[in-house]
Amino acid sequence: MNRMRTILALAAAGALVACASQKEPAQAALNAAEQAVAGVKAEAERYAPDQFKALAGALAGAKDLFTKGEYEKALAAAGDVTSKVKDVINAVNAKKTELTKAWEQVGGAVPKMMEVLKSRLDVLSQAKKLPAGLDAAKLGSAKGAYEAAAGVFAQAGEALKAGNLQEAVAKGTAAKAKAAEAMTALGMQLPQ
Amino acid sequence: MADEKTESENPYAQWHVVVKGDTLSKIAKKYYGDASLYPKIFEANRPLIKDPNLIQIGWKLRIP
Repeated sequence: MNRMRTILALAAAGALVACASQKEPAQAALNAAEQAVAGVKAEAERYAPDQFKALAGALAGAKDLFTKGEYEKALAAAGDVTSKVKDVINAVNAKKTELTKAWEQVGGAVPKMMEVLKSRLDVLSQAKKLPAGLDAAKLGSAKGAYEAAAGVFAQAGEALKAGNLQEAVAKGTAAKAKAAEAMTALGMQLPQ
Repeated sequence: MADEKTESENPYAQWHVVVKGDTLSKIAKKYYGDASLYPKIFEANRPLIKDPNLIQIGWKLRIP
């Protein structure tokens, strides 16, 4: 019986030693994972918030395992976090590519719309009468939409300068809609 | 074509294709409500239009 107790005690001690031997590698892996997550945080929170939330949760889980002394599991979990960081970077890059394309479309279209709108508003401001289908109220609302479009598009430009592509695209899209509203109010044609 | 370069640069430019009976004054009346503003169309379509009294059916005029 005593012999059996001794064997069990030795086995338990062996397991503890084996487990403790994973502490340093787990700590190192956690540090690496934490650094990797911190490195993508700013852009990931902006461009891939859901993926970043999952990543932060995975890191918290790995830390929790470490705190509980489950170093082997913590080591594996930290490695998993590091590989998930790559997925988040890919998601961020994909979103940025998508937004850049959207900005190229909106940022290219709005100044052209504003140019033709300004030209038409300038001519109409000199007209003694207005064309069929356009009255003073409609002209006034078209001018208002033109000015709103100009203001919102300026904000889009500021957002772009500040590196906020998402806001730039949102504001640019709003400006395009306002410009289209003004063109429609003036009876102008929009390209198909 | 009045100005193919401008058309390709700005897809939002406004155009009018001249039909039988059109004059610059009539076109100005249609788009601006004021026939006296025809010089705006004339200027926008030079050098295609050399004489504001002479426009041809089928011409595609830019309407500023």
